[in-house]
Amino acid sequence: MLKVERVTKVYGEQEASYLALEDIAIDIADGEFLCLLGPSGCGKTTLLNILAGFESVTRGRVTLDGRDIRGPGQDRVMFFQDAGSALFPWLTVEENVVFGLKLRGTPVRERGAIIDRYLAMVELDTHRGKFPTQLSGGMRQRLQIARALAIEPQILLMDEPFAALDALTRRRMHSFLVDIWQQTQKTIVFVTHDISESILLADRIAIMGVGPGSRFEDVIRVDLPRPRDPGDPAFGEIYRRIERQLALEESKLGDGV
Amino acid sequence: MTTTSTAGRGTGRPGPRVSPSRGLVERLRPLLMVLASVGVFVLLWQFLSTFVLNPYMIPPPTAVAAAFVPMAETGEIFKHVTVSLVRVVIGFVLGSALAIVVGVVMGRMRVVYELLDPIIEFLRYLSPTAMIPIAVIWFGIGENSKYFLIFWGTFFFVLINTVAGVMRTPVARQRAAQCLGASEFQIFIFVVIPSAVPYIVTGMRVAMASSFMSIIPAEMLAADSGLGYLLQTAGMLVQTDRIFVALATISLLGFITDRLFRLLVDRTLSRYMAFVAAN
Repeated sequence: MLKVERVTKVYGEQEASYLALEDIAIDIADGEFLCLLGPSGCGKTTLLNILAGFESVTRGRVTLDGRDIRGPGQDRVMFFQDAGSALFPWLTVEENVVFGLKLRGTPVRERGAIIDRYLAMVELDTHRGKFPTQLSGGMRQRLQIARALAIEPQILLMDEPFAALDALTRRRMHSFLVDIWQQTQKTIVFVTHDISESILLADRIAIMGVGPGSRFEDVIRVDLPRPRDPGDPAFGEIYRRIERQLALEESKLGDGV
Repeated sequence: MTTTSTAGRGTGRPGPRVSPSRGLVERLRPLLMVLASVGVFVLLWQFLSTFVLNPYMIPPPTAVAAAFVPMAETGEIFKHVTVSLVRVVIGFVLGSALAIVVGVVMGRMRVVYELLDPIIEFLRYLSPTAMIPIAVIWFGIGENSKYFLIFWGTFFFVLINTVAGVMRTPVARQRAAQCLGASEFQIFIFVVIPSAVPYIVTGMRVAMASSFMSIIPAEMLAADSGLGYLLQTAGMLVQTDRIFVALATISLLGFITDRLFRLLVDRTLSRYMAFVAAN
């Protein structure tokens, strides 16, 4: 269980300070797929960075299975939108996966099977000798997934991972991710500003308001069976509900400016 | 694009890919064009300096070649080439090595950067040529002053590029490594330094070219051997043909050294350079 208790995040000090997050609270169950949805600048990424341990909280607590999160750890792997930056371009597909295994101290004789398993899972097993620059955008993202899964984290933290991909590749990546999630039972926290994407993927959608001091405006449970169909009337209903919520946020932003 | 080695080609120029089935002429085209370019230039030079210009001011290629032959036969030219080349290589290697070490530390440790950067910002405007008088006073007229001057010219180029490369290592890459369990030190060694390699190599290439530029004035003003010395003595005796031999040799030497350096980089560091071309 990943527990976020009344987390407030302030950047800077005194007059120059900016209140990014205010009183954020949520319990994320093991194996749950949670989407953080909100307009840009609402602090989604800040919250994700806090969960990853890259940033500290100003007030409140974040615990994983009762232990405070104090920094990055192999139990939570962050997954970046710009795979070109996040991967190691001087290492081959296989070597990128080995990188984490080496750090983890996985014995050499066990590595082969782990690499085979996860590269097969993301359908990159025939490309293991290639360098990231020789892969397409979707393949790079799949390599990021394989590299993350290989060290067997409990939680995947994903920061708009598919936002830069073309629509077709994105759809493939969605079904891919859901498959992998169902196979591996990982907890996933997925940041997006795309309403459809969040309904396609999530068990629950946490809608964040605009900053400063953004908080969860609403948390919606999506009970539709998978694979989900955007043409489904129930899908549309959830979509409109979220859209109204976000429009409300937009108008707040409009008043403020 | 099925083998891993193709990644290494990234450092080369993106020439058109020609299948083996195409004609021999098509495949040899780049080489032929170079030969045509040089050939036309040499012919035009020959014509102009024989019939239009004063051949004493601009000796024709045949006269330059005639001057070259005895210099090659006595081994004079090769002696000067070797002397200059050794000076450049020693100064370049020392300068690059120290610059890389200082550069990675500066790029990674803020306080070191803040302390050293102002000094470097002052010193880097002192060209090796400006440092010749003091170098001679400090190290004498022998080899050490040349090593120092080339070192001086190399150091700042490589240093500034190394610092930039280290600082521009993508945050996402460092954080990804952190998630995979890397310590600060491991990130530095296994992520930051490899990420900086293309910048370091670029700095070294620029430094290499500048080394060939700075060795000449150093040898002209304070040496009894080397290509700069050859140039200086030929100038004093107004031997324009020998001046042209020296000039052509300097160009050729710089060109060959740069190609060799690129070849070496391609052979040893290509996987680190691959993403430069892709971006």
